[in-house]
Amino acid sequence: MLKKLYLIGALGVVGLYASGSWFGWELANSGSHSRLGVPFFYSGFHGGK
Amino acid sequence: MSVLQANCPSCGGPIEFKAGSTIVVVCPYCRSAVARTDRGLADIGKVAEIADSESPLRLGLKGTYKDTRFELTGRAQMRHELGGYWDEWYATFSNGWVGWLAEAQGRFYLTFYQPTPAGVTLPSFEELQLGQTVEGIQAPTPLMVQERGHGTTVAADGEIPYKLTPGERFGYADLAGKNNAFATIDYSMSPPWVFLGSQVTLDEIGLGDAKPVQREARRTSGEALRCPNCGGPMDLVAPDKAERVTCPNCNSLLDVNQGNLSFFKALVPPANAPAFVAPIGAEGVFPGDVKFKIIGAVVRSVLIEGVHYYWHEYLLYNPMVGFRWLVHSDNHWNFVEPVNPAEVEDSHFYGKGATVRYNGENYKNFQDADAVVEYVTGEFYWRVEQGETVRATDYVNPPRMLSREATKDEVNWSLGTYMPVEDVERIFGITGLPRPWGVAPNQPFTGKFYYTWGALPLLLLLVVAIFMVPLTGITKTVLNQQVVLPPMPNAGAEQTASSQPFDLTGNKNVRITASANVNNSWADLDVDLYNEQNQEVESINIPIEYYAGVEDGESWSEGDKAPDATISAPGAGHYTLQVHGTWEQWQQPMPVQVKVEQGVNRGVNFCCAFLLLAIVPLLGFFRKFSFESARWKDSMFGSSSGSGSSDDDSDDMSMDSPVEDYNITGD
Repeated sequence: MLKKLYLIGALGVVGLYASGSWFGWELANSGSHSRLGVPFFYSGFHGGK
Repeated sequence: MSVLQANCPSCGGPIEFKAGSTIVVVCPYCRSAVARTDRGLADIGKVAEIADSESPLRLGLKGTYKDTRFELTGRAQMRHELGGYWDEWYATFSNGWVGWLAEAQGRFYLTFYQPTPAGVTLPSFEELQLGQTVEGIQAPTPLMVQERGHGTTVAADGEIPYKLTPGERFGYADLAGKNNAFATIDYSMSPPWVFLGSQVTLDEIGLGDAKPVQREARRTSGEALRCPNCGGPMDLVAPDKAERVTCPNCNSLLDVNQGNLSFFKALVPPANAPAFVAPIGAEGVFPGDVKFKIIGAVVRSVLIEGVHYYWHEYLLYNPMVGFRWLVHSDNHWNFVEPVNPAEVEDSHFYGKGATVRYNGENYKNFQDADAVVEYVTGEFYWRVEQGETVRATDYVNPPRMLSREATKDEVNWSLGTYMPVEDVERIFGITGLPRPWGVAPNQPFTGKFYYTWGALPLLLLLVVAIFMVPLTGITKTVLNQQVVLPPMPNAGAEQTASSQPFDLTGNKNVRITASANVNNSWADLDVDLYNEQNQEVESINIPIEYYAGVEDGESWSEGDKAPDATISAPGAGHYTLQVHGTWEQWQQPMPVQVKVEQGVNRGVNFCCAFLLLAIVPLLGFFRKFSFESARWKDSMFGSSSGSGSSDDDSDDMSMDSPVEDYNITGD
C-alpha cells in the first residue's frame, strides 16, 4: 500500500512538472502573481542567474 | 518367479517364498528367519518384531517405477550405531528387478544392486573420507561420501533377498550425487557391494496415496508410558523414530529403545536462561502446505572469544515428510530443510571471502565455529545429549542460509529460509512472540523497491524533460527596447517610463531583463507588465547594482548590470511594460534596456522535481547500506559482504544473544 501511495505521489510530481512545462508555470516565480496561488520564491529570488 | 511353499522348520507353520530372488522369509508365526539353501530350508535365528512405526509404507503395497510395477514384499529394520533406526523395504518388480527402498528420517531412496566393473577396487571402509568422490561406480554423476557408519540388523518381516542374519553388524557408506543420485556401499560383503539409485518421493514411485499410520501416541504394552526416573506419564509423538526424550516432569533425559524408556542422565538447564517461546506439541501448516508438529527443542551455543552466544532450534516432524527445523535466534526465525550435499559446490576453503554455490546461487561465508548442544527438551531422532558438538559453518544469500554441520563421520548441509515472526505467529496461531532486534545473517532487505522500481519516476522525469524542451522551450524575444527615466526631482521621487506595446501568447513563461549602465552605483526598478485589454498588472522588482574596484592589486566586482526575472505565463494579450525606478545618480536620466522573452527554458522546475523524486531512492540506498553494515558486523568475515557492507567491526562477533541475557525455565 505504501509503495502504491509513493508511486502515485511520484507520478504526480512528474505530471505536475509536465503540466508546468506545457502551461508555462514557474515554480520560482518572481512576479506578484502566481499560477500556484502564491509566488513560490517571490522575495529576493529572481530566478535564473 | 519361483514360488516355494513350505513349512517353517521351527514351528511348522506355512511359509511361502513368492519371489525367486527371496533368500530369507520371516515366519509370521514364530518370527524365525528361514533361509532357502541348496540343502533345503534352515532356521537361522529369531528376529525381533518390527518396531511400531508411522511409516506410510507396508508390505503388499504396489507402486510403479520407470513404467514397471513392483510390490513391497519384505522389510528389514536397521539400527544406526549412534542411535536411530532406518527401514529397508524389499521391492519385487514385475520384470524381475530387485530394488531396495530405504526409508530414513522421512526420506526415501530407491536403489538397485550395481555390479562393480572388473578391475575396479572400491576403497575400504577405513579409507573412506567424508566428502570424497568415490571412483569406479558407474553412476550418471560423481558420488561423494555423505556418511559412513555401522548398522545392525534388528528386525525383519516378509521376504528378504539376502541371507539376513539377526543382530549382524555391518559397515556402510552413503554416497550422494547431483540430481538426487544416491548410492550405498555395503561393507558386509567382501568385496563390498554397491547399490545405486536416487532419492525419490512416494509420488514418483506411484505410492503418493500411501498414508502414515494414524494412531494415538504410543503407550507401551497398552499401559501408560512412564518416566523410569520419576514415574510421571509421558507420550511419544514418533516412537519409531525417537532415540532420546526428556521427561517433562523431572527433566531427565531418557533413552528410547523401541518405545521403551531408560534413564540416561538428569539435565541441568543453563542458569538464567529464557523459556522456549514455542511449546512442544504445537502444530502448524508451513509453506508447501505441510503440517508439522514441534516434537523437540534444543538450545545450542557457540563460544567466541570467551562469550557464549545462544540460539534455539525446534525439531519439526511430519510422518510423510520427515524432520525439519525451526531456528530461533535473536528473535529471528528460519525454516530449515536438509540439502543433498552433492548439490553444494564446496571449495573446502573456510574463512574470509569463502563462498559455496548451491542451486545456481553463491552463498558467502558468515560464521564458522563449534556449535554445542546446551540443553534439550522433547524427543529426538538421534541420541542427543548435552555437550554434543559439531563444526557449524554458515553461508548466506538472503533470504537463504546454507549451513554445513560436520562431525568426523558425517557432513550434513541444510538450507534455512528466513521467516518473519508474523509468519511464525500465523503458522502456530499464536500472538505476542518477541520481536527481533538487529539484522539476521540471512534477513532479506525489504526496501529494495524504493531504489529500483521506486526510482522509475526519476527516469520518467528525465524523459518528459527531454521531450518538453523542443515542445515548450524555444525562446522568443517579443520586446527589446531602451526606455529612459528622466532625472528625479529629488532622491526619493520615483520616475516612470513606458515601453512600446507588444503581444504575448498564452502558456509561455516570460523573462524580463533590465540592463542599465551602473558603475559603483545602483538602480531599483519595479517593472509592471500591464495588460492593456483587461488592465491587469503583474509587478516584478528588478534591482540593478554593480560595484567594481581594485584592492591589494587585485580587481574585484560584484552585482549585475543586467539582471532578469521570470514569471509564469500571463494570459495571451496586448501588453506594455511600465518601468518605475529610483537610482543613486537621481540628478541624471537613467536609460534602461528592457527585453521581454517568452518560452524560456529554465531548469528550476526540473531541479525541484528531481530533488523531490530523488529523496526516497536516496533514503532507500542509505537504508540498504546501513542494513548490510548491520548484517555483516555480526559476521566473523565482515569484509566479504561485498556491496553495502562494512568491515569496520570485523573482529566483533555478536552471533546471538549473549550469555547474560539467557534464561531457560523449560517447558
